[in-house]
Amino acid sequence: MLFPSPMQKTLVYDQQSCQLRVEGLPDLSAGQNGDDHGILTRWTLRWAGRPELEGERDHLEALIAVVLPYARHIVSGVRRSFGDGSAAVRIVPGEAGVHTLHLLSRQSGSPSLDLNLDDAELADLVRVLDRLRFDPRVHLSLTVPPERPLRARELIQRVPLQRRLAAPVGGVAALALAASLAVLLPPPQPGRSPANVKPVAPAASPAAPARSRP
Amino acid sequence: MGLDTGIIAAMAQAPVSLTTATASAPSLAPSPAGDPPTTSSVALPRRGLERLDLMLLCLESLDLNGGEAMLWLSNNLGLSDRFPNRVELWKRRCHNPMRRACRRGGLAAIDSEGLMRILCAMADRLYPMVRTLLSAAEPPELNAQRWNLFEARLAELLRERMNPRRSAVQKLLDPVAGAEERRQMIQSLALVAGDGGYERLRASLLDAAA
Repeated sequence: MLFPSPMQKTLVYDQQSCQLRVEGLPDLSAGQNGDDHGILTRWTLRWAGRPELEGERDHLEALIAVVLPYARHIVSGVRRSFGDGSAAVRIVPGEAGVHTLHLLSRQSGSPSLDLNLDDAELADLVRVLDRLRFDPRVHLSLTVPPERPLRARELIQRVPLQRRLAAPVGGVAALALAASLAVLLPPPQPGRSPANVKPVAPAASPAAPARSRP
Repeated sequence: MGLDTGIIAAMAQAPVSLTTATASAPSLAPSPAGDPPTTSSVALPRRGLERLDLMLLCLESLDLNGGEAMLWLSNNLGLSDRFPNRVELWKRRCHNPMRRACRRGGLAAIDSEGLMRILCAMADRLYPMVRTLLSAAEPPELNAQRWNLFEARLAELLRERMNPRRSAVQKLLDPVAGAEERRQMIQSLALVAGDGGYERLRASLLDAAA
């Protein structure tokens, strides 16, 4: 039977729908004291009415690496998935207000787990991860993607495809219509070109005085 | 006013006890946002200014004493030299082009950072209300009533302060067409509240120019 080390400490971050517990030890070689967390041994994430998640440092980093950029994009109004099919954690936007967290177990025989979170639960998850990141007692140097402004091609995803296509399709249609109308117009005849038309002398008006030839 | 007292009462009845004994109280000056604003930052573009002011307006819709709360938070965050009173706060917010009384020119980077810090701190303080609006676990009738109260208060503030001829204002006032945008702003408030919210908010306001 394994007993926890007397130096092992547990940090608990609570929100209404989830609770993150991080167990770790101080890294004495780095000069940390007893309250610091320099070595992460285990973490668990408890959801109300859902299976408990647990893992090691890699899993926590994988969770952070997809959830925080996902939240960042949602603040900009862009809903896109993060994490590829083989990643340990993947998050995918679902129906309105639903976010699906796919968790792939590395243990053979364990099925993957899908968690459907609503907007409030996603915000709770982001808050507990943020509090872990900015806890002054935690010295885990977790890899967190930097927050950066999105580029135009990333922002264009928030515009529906129909609206994005409306302008080019309308332009092409207008061009085609104008071209077909131009084809219907009769071509100008060569003999009637303005350069070949002789100017017509104005008709003499009866009121005009007759000019005598010299 | 019945509407005003109603929104407070309805929100206060919500089961919003978020933190437990292990969680600390909402910090007014989280470590990443508590640093003094730097002047080397980039000024917000026009779209970013609009969005920042609209998000502050949403917070005022949730908190009837929002104006005073912003001033109090600015003092707590050490921003009293930038925003010593409500008039200075209002003058900075009037750089929003959607305002009735809009000020020309851009907002200084230090001022926009101050407003962002106030917004994050206030969103953190009002997180229970914001979360309640977003939660699917709440009874649908009660949640619909809360949304109606919030939207009515927001519409009142929009009509009072924003230029109604602007199409963006008209869309926000539209009960159907503006519903998604209003929810998006509430969701953004939930995600920018807290310790890491400032960087998310700042990045999102800067990308609005793209």
